[in-house]
Amino acid sequence: MTKKTRRNIYRTARLTAFYIFVSGVTIAMLLPLYFIVSLSFLSTREAYRYPLPLLPALNVEYKLTHGERGYLLSVYDPIDKEYQTVLDTGDLEKMSVYMKSQLGAPMSVPEIEQQIARLEHEAPVFFTRRKSLLYNYETFFKVAGTGQAVPALIRSLEICAMTIAISLTIGGMAGYAFARYTFRGRDALKFSVLFVRMFPGVAIAMPMVIILVNMGFYDAPIGLSLVYSVGSIALTIWITASIFMGIPVSLEEAAQVFGATKIQAFLRVTLPLSLPGLAACAMYAFLGAWNETVAAIILTQFNPTFSVVVYQTVLGAVGQVNLAAAGGMVMALPAVIFTFFIRRYIHQMWGGVTV
Amino acid sequence: MATLQLKNLTKRFGKKVVAVKGINLEVHDGEYLVLLGPSGCGKTTTLRMIAGLEEVTDGEIILDGVDITDLPPRKRDISMVFQSYAVWPHMTVYDNIAFALRLKKMNRSEIDRTVREVAGMTKIAEFLDRYPFQLSGGQRQRVAVARAIAVKPKLFLMDEPLSNLDAKLRVATRTELKAIHHKTHATTVFVTHDQSEAMSIADRIVIMKDGEIMQIGTPEEVYDQSASIFVADFIGTPPTNFLDVELVREGETLYLVNPHIKLPLSAENAARLRGYDKRELVLGIRPENILLTSADEADLSAACLVAEPQGSHQVVAVELDDKLLKIVAPARPKVRSGETVHLTFKQESLRFFDRESGARI
Amino acid sequence: MTKKQWKKLGEQAVPYLLILPVVVYYAAFWLRPVLISVIGSFTDAAGHLTLQNFAMVIHDEAFIPALRNTAVIVLFSVTLEFFVALFLALLINRKFVGASFFLFLAMIPMALPSAAAGAMWITGLTAHGWINSLLHYLGFLAKGKSIYWLAGSETSLLALLIVVDAWQVIPSVMIILLAGLQNIPEEMQEAGYVFGGNYLTVLRKITLPLLKPTIQTAVILRLISAIQIWLIVVILLGFSRLPVLVERIVYYHKEVRGLDISYQMAMGYTIIVAVIVSLVSLAYLQVSGAFKKERGEVA
Repeated sequence: MTKKTRRNIYRTARLTAFYIFVSGVTIAMLLPLYFIVSLSFLSTREAYRYPLPLLPALNVEYKLTHGERGYLLSVYDPIDKEYQTVLDTGDLEKMSVYMKSQLGAPMSVPEIEQQIARLEHEAPVFFTRRKSLLYNYETFFKVAGTGQAVPALIRSLEICAMTIAISLTIGGMAGYAFARYTFRGRDALKFSVLFVRMFPGVAIAMPMVIILVNMGFYDAPIGLSLVYSVGSIALTIWITASIFMGIPVSLEEAAQVFGATKIQAFLRVTLPLSLPGLAACAMYAFLGAWNETVAAIILTQFNPTFSVVVYQTVLGAVGQVNLAAAGGMVMALPAVIFTFFIRRYIHQMWGGVTV
Repeated sequence: MATLQLKNLTKRFGKKVVAVKGINLEVHDGEYLVLLGPSGCGKTTTLRMIAGLEEVTDGEIILDGVDITDLPPRKRDISMVFQSYAVWPHMTVYDNIAFALRLKKMNRSEIDRTVREVAGMTKIAEFLDRYPFQLSGGQRQRVAVARAIAVKPKLFLMDEPLSNLDAKLRVATRTELKAIHHKTHATTVFVTHDQSEAMSIADRIVIMKDGEIMQIGTPEEVYDQSASIFVADFIGTPPTNFLDVELVREGETLYLVNPHIKLPLSAENAARLRGYDKRELVLGIRPENILLTSADEADLSAACLVAEPQGSHQVVAVELDDKLLKIVAPARPKVRSGETVHLTFKQESLRFFDRESGARI
Repeated sequence: MTKKQWKKLGEQAVPYLLILPVVVYYAAFWLRPVLISVIGSFTDAAGHLTLQNFAMVIHDEAFIPALRNTAVIVLFSVTLEFFVALFLALLINRKFVGASFFLFLAMIPMALPSAAAGAMWITGLTAHGWINSLLHYLGFLAKGKSIYWLAGSETSLLALLIVVDAWQVIPSVMIILLAGLQNIPEEMQEAGYVFGGNYLTVLRKITLPLLKPTIQTAVILRLISAIQIWLIVVILLGFSRLPVLVERIVYYHKEVRGLDISYQMAMGYTIIVAVIVSLVSLAYLQVSGAFKKERGEVA
């Protein structure tokens, strides 16, 4: 072997080992995520077999014969590779409901009757129905939090929108001041902003109970957004200050020289240039308000937020694994999507951006 | 077309820092005036006060007889080229140039005509639809210039517009700026710290230091008749050579004496220095006014420290005590380091300065 | 005053007008609640000064366990997370095909809301959950057998919580450290090798010292969030089984809300958490240099 081929082999081996390692890390990160996604698509029957199927079935293969109490319904289990009896009843209504709620592959009573008619010529009869993969999601929105899921979702979105509005206006103004002016108390404010950001939200939520009750905002979306804004204003100041600092003052000055007022200069030059950053701030505020649970538990009673509904569903998950998974997925999806959009800013923040 | 007057213009930052100390200046109609000085001399602050970007602490700015001291920038009828160009990155070149015209509520066809006209003048016509990030630094600088001339202002302000260009482009662009000025004849105030730029472009140069005007004059005046050691040192490369000398009278003749030289003065120079007998002076002489000569005619002989060939000429450095004396000599014959050179000073080019005040005598 | 002076005053007021809203907001919705809780915790029902509230919390039989459990989780999880993340970051610190995709994937665990993460783990850790199923398919578990993850001793439960927390946090700490590593100019390390260092000496004498600010940021921010761990504990183990500090707040506020002492207890725990987190925050602000006089940053 020449020296060169030896070196090539060594390099290839190293690279392969590196990729195997990275893949391993990736799998370890993604495996739990895979299972919650997969679980959220399982029918109730699938979710309660053990071991759990690795993949949700796309179709349900039915077998129907005559049974002791009427008709005997079996479904094919792809893991045990056999038909397993699930129901023996003459009540077609009951069978239809079972097919929907337990197997996720619903058939109407007339459809079942059609199959029963086939029984006269051959027994057993086999037929396949497509499984409704989103059944758990539908059910989650119908039953979770005793029907509170949809109103809670709307409420959460309201809270997010208000939090974004409050923190972007108040935080954006202060961020601009930080970026463009020196003023007395700048250091003190900068310090407080950092400190407030790190102060535990739960520690504000508890005393806020009294304040919000007095204001009439307890158990209301506005009350929660007031609490969430405390943290997200700080973050907004942080981010917007660095954004505005990145936009040279001379751009605004040029606009003024060429005929714009100070406000026009801001609106026509600085604002459009800072839009991507402001969008990131909005997403940050959204994430904070969307993900938060503990303050939401403390500050709501009859009007929970979506995260509280998911929390309650998960807490009582002993009977509804697949529903809990579906709830978790609904919770996770917007969070993951927005994180994707603002990942550049997250890196920046962690890179130690200072105000 | 306009005249600009600065009357006792002062800028104070906070309580202590005085950036501009009550300067008085008049810029004539159509003049290309350069504010020149080292960084921190107050030239940019002065320009920004004229633009209205910096608040005036005291004094007046008068443009065409109108006091504009307290007007916001947009009401001053000026335009400006910024050091960083300040070309708006979210607008196309066209929109950048049209910005001011639109704010003036000019009609569309007129805007279009003006934009195309100035774009042609600055050779950026083919880039009108591009965004600044698609342009090179030089092209962006042209956009800034085009934007500034499009508004046809009374007064043109330029804040070191060439300092972000590379050396070669800078020289080419300053020629173009001058050419554009010949076309527009707009009254211009140009700020720079680069004396060669100032020399090549200015009708008159204002040399500033520590917030004060040191000298105002044409390039020739500030070069040949520098008002102080500072100006003589600041203008010209290599700068003026300075020698501490004493004035000594021996019989009828005045001599400039220091440990290395004993230079008899011509009658003219002697007349100028009448009354400075036995005083300590500073002799200033520009490098091209020291000539290489033969040993018997030399005012001074010394060993060459280094000789830097420049192609068209060479710069010979001679060490006197701890000071370098630089001589711009013809390229040939080539001087070698260590070689003894014999030097003579051009009498008519000797400049004398007061050692204490630095002022020219 | 002349018009000019008025105008000048107006210009000077601009920054103060810009920060006024945030100052008012903080006063109303941060300082006020904080003061209310501080005052409330030092007074009794009649408004007299007392330490009774804290005594009550300290005598709560779950207080010491809650403090201890929180401390154990914080200590072990932050240490574990830091070292694993550093190890990963050092290994991955190079350009490779798919790097940006990998980094995005690594952000997902962090992006996951805690309620969703709770759903994920509770469905995995039950006797018939996906973890046991997976072990079964991989051949580690015989048919019909299952491991009762959530039935173990306190120590094993703590270990479990630490691992679960680590899964969620390690990728993000790794990204922070990776970002820090990539901010170090390569020439710094190259100079180390040129002047005779091997990998370990360069790591110890050059890379890690240069990474120190990043490490401090990462560790302290992690400490702050680890102290406030509760939701995953409650979702996996329910209330009171393995008490932690923030769990106690929710417990007293929501679960046993009828009791006379509920509010005071919840408040007492709140203050304790706030004080601990504040101390860590102050430590962070200290090391990050927020106390130092600012340089002239305004352009």
